[in-house]
Amino acid sequence: MTNIEKLNKIFCDVFSVEESALNSEFNNCTVEGWDSVHQLSLTSAVEDEFDIMLDAEDILEFTSYDNAKTVLAKYDINL
Amino acid sequence: MAYWEIKNVALRGVTGTVPNNPVKSAELDIFTQEDAELFDSTVGILNRYLAPDDVCASDLCYDAAERLVAGLGWEKDSIDVLVFASVTGDYKTPPTSSILQDRLGLPTSTFVVDLPMGCCGTLYAINMAGNMLSAGTVKRALLLIGDTASRMGSYKDKSRVPLFGDAGMAMALEYDATAEKIAIEMNTLGSGYKALMTPHGGYRHPITKEDSFVEEDFGNGIIRAPKDALINGMDVFSFAITKPPVSIKKMMERYELTIDNVDYFLIHQANKLIVDRIVKKLKLPLEKTPYDLQEFGNLGGASIPMLMTYNLADELQSRPLTMVCSAFGLGLTWGTMVLKTQRVRVLPINKI
Repeated sequence: MTNIEKLNKIFCDVFSVEESALNSEFNNCTVEGWDSVHQLSLTSAVEDEFDIMLDAEDILEFTSYDNAKTVLAKYDINL
Repeated sequence: MAYWEIKNVALRGVTGTVPNNPVKSAELDIFTQEDAELFDSTVGILNRYLAPDDVCASDLCYDAAERLVAGLGWEKDSIDVLVFASVTGDYKTPPTSSILQDRLGLPTSTFVVDLPMGCCGTLYAINMAGNMLSAGTVKRALLLIGDTASRMGSYKDKSRVPLFGDAGMAMALEYDATAEKIAIEMNTLGSGYKALMTPHGGYRHPITKEDSFVEEDFGNGIIRAPKDALINGMDVFSFAITKPPVSIKKMMERYELTIDNVDYFLIHQANKLIVDRIVKKLKLPLEKTPYDLQEFGNLGGASIPMLMTYNLADELQSRPLTMVCSAFGLGLTWGTMVLKTQRVRVLPINKI
């Protein structure tokens, strides 16, 4: 599984959506139910999957699919 | 720097009482089955004990206190200090500690104080009472730490309801010239106070029928009025994973403590996400970091004595322990305590 496939699977699992729903509009304002529990569930799964530890500010930044990719780039995760 | 070394004070006993009303996440009205499963696996709080509307924190603490005093064989006349650490006192005035002095039949010579310091309640209580006992002019203190936090907020607030459980703990401190010193450091970040607060009901914004009860829908299952306690999950999370680990590390360096010469790390059981991250950040071994949040939820200030009672009863009673205790919450405040115990009497948790 490639890194982008891993990331997509995490998003799909946490938000119970199809991969086709993941685009630049997928964020905490447009996705119903994107609350702190979902966000922290997301970051926790990402940390486990990519074996990284996100800084607090990066966890707070994890508010959209695009932001997730930007944050992961900071940790040298090539998507 | 707010930092203390309390000499001549020993922890003699601890116990706790919870309402006999266990509630699983899936039983909460605000959750669908799917919500409850995600909450359980992410936040880790599978169960909590919730007080009915006619049970106060003082009732739970009273039960714990009566049992502990009897278990230790303490004469009530020998108790000099009574601390009640809670944000859910019986009344706005008078202090609940004065009511408990009478209820418990303690002498009128008892010094009483309420400490509404939230999740750091145990550290504040030990710090204040410990410093009072240290000189030896008073010998015994009863610390009652508890909350009915479930009653503070809106039952329609999904960001808050499932997190908290209710409990009342009692701890007994005594002057003892042979006791190991208790080290405590405390910190405050007042600029973050809005992360955990009850907007109306104090004198800044007294309760008014015009606006204090008006519910607002904040989305994602969060409906509450200004009279209800609120929690800004992401702000609290960010604070809790950043500040406490620095404090723990500092205290461990100051006292030359390592993973090897500490028996247990008692981390305030805010939720699994926060505790896991502190554990991970400090590389603490899981076998030295007990969890009880799966059973009790976030108990506020009662969290640390509940870990002692629920997870460490046998060991506290049978051998000396070195514990590093970390608390963080309201204020925002946080701190670390290094507590070395000899044999401590631990009575089983009671459900009433």
